[in-house]
Amino acid sequence: MTNKKIRVNFRKKLFPLEWPELKKLMDLALSKGGEFSDIFLEYRISRSVLMEEDIIKESSENLTRGLGLRVIKKDRTGYAYTNDLSDEKLKQVAANAAAIANSSRSFCSSKQFKTLRPERDVSLVKGFPTSRPLKDKLDLVEKTYRAAQNFDPAIKKIQVAYTESKQQIWLVNSEGLSVLEDRPMVKIVAMVVAEKKGRKEAGFSGGGGRVGLDYFSNNLTPEKIGREAAWEAIQLLEAAEAPAGEFTVVLGPGHSGVLIHEAVGHLLEADFVRKKTSILWDKLGKKVGSEQITIYDDPTISGLRGSYNFDDEGTPPQPTLLIEKGQVRGFLQDLLSAQLMKCRPTGHGRRQDFTNWPLPRMSNTYLEPGEYQPEEIIRSVKKGLYVSRLSGGQVEDSGKFTFSASSGYLIENGKLGRPIKQATLIGTNLDILQKVEMVGSDLEFDWQTGTCSKEGQEVPISDGCPTMKISKMTLGGIK
Amino acid sequence: MKPKDDTNNLRNLAEKIVHYGKKQGAEEIEVTLYDGLEFNVDVRRGKIENLVEAGSRYCSLRVFKDKKAASASSSDLRLPVLQTLVRNAIRRAELTQPDEYAGLPVSATFKVNENSLRLYDPEISRMKPKEKIKLARAAEKVALQDKRITNSFGASFLTNEIKSLLVNSNGFAGEYRQTYCSLSLDLQAGSGDQLVEDYWFSAKRHLKDLASPEEVGKKAVERTVRQLHPRKIRTQNVPVVFEPTMTSWLLAFLFACVSGTAVYQKTTFLEGKLGQTIGNRLVTVIDDGLLPGKLGSRPFDSEGVPTQRTVVVEKGLLQNYLCNTYAARKLKLVPTGNGNGHSVVPNNFFIEPGTTAPEEIVSSTQKGLLLTKIIGHGLNPVTGDISCGAFGLWLEDGEIAYPVSEITIAGNLGRILKSIELVGNDLQFESSICGPTIKVAEMTVAGM
Repeated sequence: MTNKKIRVNFRKKLFPLEWPELKKLMDLALSKGGEFSDIFLEYRISRSVLMEEDIIKESSENLTRGLGLRVIKKDRTGYAYTNDLSDEKLKQVAANAAAIANSSRSFCSSKQFKTLRPERDVSLVKGFPTSRPLKDKLDLVEKTYRAAQNFDPAIKKIQVAYTESKQQIWLVNSEGLSVLEDRPMVKIVAMVVAEKKGRKEAGFSGGGGRVGLDYFSNNLTPEKIGREAAWEAIQLLEAAEAPAGEFTVVLGPGHSGVLIHEAVGHLLEADFVRKKTSILWDKLGKKVGSEQITIYDDPTISGLRGSYNFDDEGTPPQPTLLIEKGQVRGFLQDLLSAQLMKCRPTGHGRRQDFTNWPLPRMSNTYLEPGEYQPEEIIRSVKKGLYVSRLSGGQVEDSGKFTFSASSGYLIENGKLGRPIKQATLIGTNLDILQKVEMVGSDLEFDWQTGTCSKEGQEVPISDGCPTMKISKMTLGGIK
Repeated sequence: MKPKDDTNNLRNLAEKIVHYGKKQGAEEIEVTLYDGLEFNVDVRRGKIENLVEAGSRYCSLRVFKDKKAASASSSDLRLPVLQTLVRNAIRRAELTQPDEYAGLPVSATFKVNENSLRLYDPEISRMKPKEKIKLARAAEKVALQDKRITNSFGASFLTNEIKSLLVNSNGFAGEYRQTYCSLSLDLQAGSGDQLVEDYWFSAKRHLKDLASPEEVGKKAVERTVRQLHPRKIRTQNVPVVFEPTMTSWLLAFLFACVSGTAVYQKTTFLEGKLGQTIGNRLVTVIDDGLLPGKLGSRPFDSEGVPTQRTVVVEKGLLQNYLCNTYAARKLKLVPTGNGNGHSVVPNNFFIEPGTTAPEEIVSSTQKGLLLTKIIGHGLNPVTGDISCGAFGLWLEDGEIAYPVSEITIAGNLGRILKSIELVGNDLQFESSICGPTIKVAEMTVAGM
């Protein structure tokens, strides 16, 4: 009971709106014949600290507060938003969104609200990072910085950024659903430049998630982040140009999840499926990849960056099987796509903030571990490439995708050879998925610093992957 | 709710916050307010898919105390909320370390305004939603009539009206309004597992400058279908012709490498190269914030520094870095009116066009790649290295032979600037960074 009381108070404090007002607003929104309406209220505080050139140089604090209102009629969406919560503005917002339906009368009215509560909290926090004193955060930043600085005399430049946020949302819809959620997030990122004999290279590292500051003492220390970034830069100083052409590629665990994200995840987002623009739209139940591949997207994994208790439409999320032994088994659904495709929503409707309507998105996407030992996989390659770290990627609906190998090694006769410089890999998903020959037993998740961008909206995500071997892929090095 | 009263309200609010910050102990304070109106319609297969109409406001501020800096922003513009943010910022500044280069710019006057720069088009605010929807529909219709187009991601028409207002404690006060409109169309062609996609758009400040729906529709169709039935090619080093959109992509990378912020941070390969030759004589690159009607023009930057015309590279010689106030102080240079909070942004950043027609550039290429699209993010400003996924048209005997896909291009920006062989005469200002067709002597194109 106490818990309930606190929640109601927080809601009142952040959003000066009562249920009857929201109901009235939704009825106005549905007055032109809309079939469904929801209101997304958001209050977000984010803070950051930046250290470079040996000093704490900047700190910032950002507040986001606003309301977004959506009206759906069939496959059409009307959307309006405001950060002015005055009565007059809200009525205007409802009228603007209502205009998507152009009938003169209302067919639906909103139902009485019932508040849904999460069964457990996916965030691993004892106290919110945003409630801790600034000094603790300055300390983390400084420790990261010094660890990178002391790693090697060739380190010439270090930048460490700490960011934290707390997003509080209140979602209500015309079916009578009301959902409240507090979402914490924290991240430390280090960027380092090393210079030796006129040659310069950059290294990166980072970590975080939906966790508290204790994560940086118990799981990932700031010293480790600083050292890893410095190590990468130093190592690249000795790296050779990456070769160009087709090679057998072994992807290391963790970051290689980017490949799963780009080559599979995006193309199973239900909006691309129902619009038939995804190359996978008609592949449900069909085999598109090797037996080795089983892929899930799971928003319920504790502490991960892509996790949430409810999606941004108030749906409790489910671990969603996307690919089983190479066969397409499911799609990532939001409410609109699920309704149009006559499927159950999977809880993947997400939005960047109140100025955007939700879209089907990934959360934490991962490839299930296989049976091979990582060493065994490397040993099986006569001549090829080992990618130890992948950074960003991109995909088209046609299935063509790329990702960048930010550090790697040549493989010669089953052994790791000389480190190579950064290079891009390109492939077509239907082709590459067939070419996954071995999947390792060493599933890892990435650093928990990733963001996915779709139609201009950015949301936090994470990817996971064991070591895997692709028989042939094009590498964009220098000839 | 008359607009004029509203402007006064915003100005009053900004002045109040500046005054409050000084009273609370800030030595310097800068307050920016934005007031924006957005309209967007997405039409897909003839039907309206999404319709957005919204207004929002936003405040950002910076404070300085004892050479220590802190910043804040908020979409909640209630005075007590902003006052709390100011107090928090001053307290945070006190906890950080002094930086002798921190602080506001010296106050300067600017000689241009939204009228002389043609930033604001009243037609856009007068335009009815119906007319906007009609434009998007018309563009998509042109495309869907073409049998080769098999699917559409939709056409969008978007308008923005933004008022920006800046007041600081050094006595600067300025404001301007600007408009933006764009029409875009995203298409798919092919069937089964052989799909290709591309888009086209037009973006302007003034409605009458916008390309017609027919023009946008036809160009989007042409760009999409020309990729059908691509072939794979062998890995080789060849000349690469960049289409204007690709030159813009390359210039965006160059911008990141001449940004004063990257220079003092030592994160660009062009650090320490001022006054040196970084390209050949064909390479002249300008940043100009004063071109009337262009998308990157503005009277002053985010710190109130007047914008100007800056020659960045002149016939291959690196003449200037683009600096906000902080980077300029660090580098002992002058600010160039490119400030954007902590970072630096381009105004109109472009390579000076040459005299060669794009068709001539293509016909001059015996064997090579006409680069039409990039996928991925393989740019490294620290080294200048480029490695990206690419799409293009293969050139043989000076003619387009066939489309190629699943290739990568690799090279180095430093080497590219020194090996530009031809610069086209087809410069268009559809974005704040833009360039004409160019030809680069050699890059590695990887395929099979």
